[in-house]
Amino acid sequence: MPSFPSRPGSPMRVTFQEELDELQANLHEEGEFVLRSLRGAINALVQQDVELADEVIAFDDEVDQRYLAIEEGIQSLLARQTPVAVDLRLVLAILHINLHLERMADYCVTTAKLTKLSHQHSPDPALIEGFEDMGARAEEMIRYALDAFARRDAEGGETLVDMDELIDRANRRVVERVLSFGGDADLHEWGLRMLIVSRCLERIGDHAVDIGEQTAYLVTGEFREFTDASRPEDLGHH
Amino acid sequence: MTELESTTADRMVEVSAETFVDRQESRSLSRETLFSVSDLTVSYGGFPALAEVSMEIHRNNITAFIGPSGCGKSTFIRCFNRLNDLIPSAKVEGTILYHGQDLYGPGVDPVEVRKLIGMVFQKPNPFPKSIYDNIAFGPRVLGMKDGLDERVERSLHQAALWDEVRDRLKESALSLSGGQQQRLCIARCLAVDPEVILMDEPASSLDPISTTRIEDLMHELKRDYTIVIVTHNMQQAARVADMTAFFSVRVSEGDGRRTGILVEYDTTQKIFTTPGDKRTEDYVTGRFG
Repeated sequence: MPSFPSRPGSPMRVTFQEELDELQANLHEEGEFVLRSLRGAINALVQQDVELADEVIAFDDEVDQRYLAIEEGIQSLLARQTPVAVDLRLVLAILHINLHLERMADYCVTTAKLTKLSHQHSPDPALIEGFEDMGARAEEMIRYALDAFARRDAEGGETLVDMDELIDRANRRVVERVLSFGGDADLHEWGLRMLIVSRCLERIGDHAVDIGEQTAYLVTGEFREFTDASRPEDLGHH
Repeated sequence: MTELESTTADRMVEVSAETFVDRQESRSLSRETLFSVSDLTVSYGGFPALAEVSMEIHRNNITAFIGPSGCGKSTFIRCFNRLNDLIPSAKVEGTILYHGQDLYGPGVDPVEVRKLIGMVFQKPNPFPKSIYDNIAFGPRVLGMKDGLDERVERSLHQAALWDEVRDRLKESALSLSGGQQQRLCIARCLAVDPEVILMDEPASSLDPISTTRIEDLMHELKRDYTIVIVTHNMQQAARVADMTAFFSVRVSEGDGRRTGILVEYDTTQKIFTTPGDKRTEDYVTGRFG
């Protein structure tokens, strides 16, 4: 005999809950895919592996498929189930996080494309090491952001700001390094492309912070930016 | 990068995750036709109340009929188990095939039809008998007397009522709350092993909690049964139904007579996100009632 939902005290609105669960499962999976994409992009860059870079570019379709499924699921759920209160905040948070994840995957694609463009140039070992470091930090941030969201940890979401500061610093070091390249035209061109890679990784960190903001919104019901770009003195103080 | 070696070109593409595909498939609807309605017109006293309806109803789906008062949706649902036969002035034209067989064909026993295709009404209508006897009534009449106790218990389980009434089966069904009475009527319907459950505004006389229980129950029941529901509560259709049919009223220019027509029939998602007909859009957005 299957269990039936309508005993007093048992869960209600089972279909609705199932749909919310499905959206979250799809979001989690999309996050896993972004992590794969990021690792692939960094590995392709570090190993100058053009084939792997192609795989990363092609793999973006997988991420996009999840992205679209979540978009459609949210549209359908809003139209049919009229979520309110915490359910509404959850759906809106998923809507935003979905977009952040998709953007992250696009940055991985950009990184892979730049790897392909630049592979004939001999890379600067210090810079490559810096990217490995940034990639690892970005990966850690994505994982942390998704975990904090899954366990509804608003404060955990906010610690992403500190993690992001480390990526921002690494990004600045990349800029300084590229500026120091001097007269070698080939190296210079390669360096300019690597500035974009660095920028991509830095932006992935920003999107992870944004996911943290969505978690805080879900939990507290109030949306606020963790850092305010128009008031830079607030940076890092929260 | 600790997983430097493990991320190979091969690994990148191999990840079309099964779980996602499973989830996508679990959402896809059954397309097996159970009822096929062609050109159905129902007239009362010679005047059509519902005209020229054609549609298919799929097995193990919840199909909802929505529309303003007088659009013929209740008239329509009553055709599926020949309840309109009981109204002397009613005339049904066109065909309804059930498993490919004409429901209104010669030699079809309406009693057998109503056993396979049960109906739950707007107002709970338990017999003034015990809870047990309400459920046992149909099986007894139909000679399904073996294992009656088990049948009663199973039906009450399926209607998600067992835990609430197991210790009071001999009490009058009229002692139950409205929501419990409605689930009792669903259990009574299930007791004779139907294939289809027709519900004519089954929750419109119930409070919101009881309504949610009925909606959850419908979701549970569609694994084993095909459900057709008429509801004046558009949001209810949106919440529970897989397919939704929107009916409206056509007013005759000559004599002003009103006839129900089927405007649009599609997946519920489509009806409530991107309806194909302006009239449907006006209705679901509340611009026309």
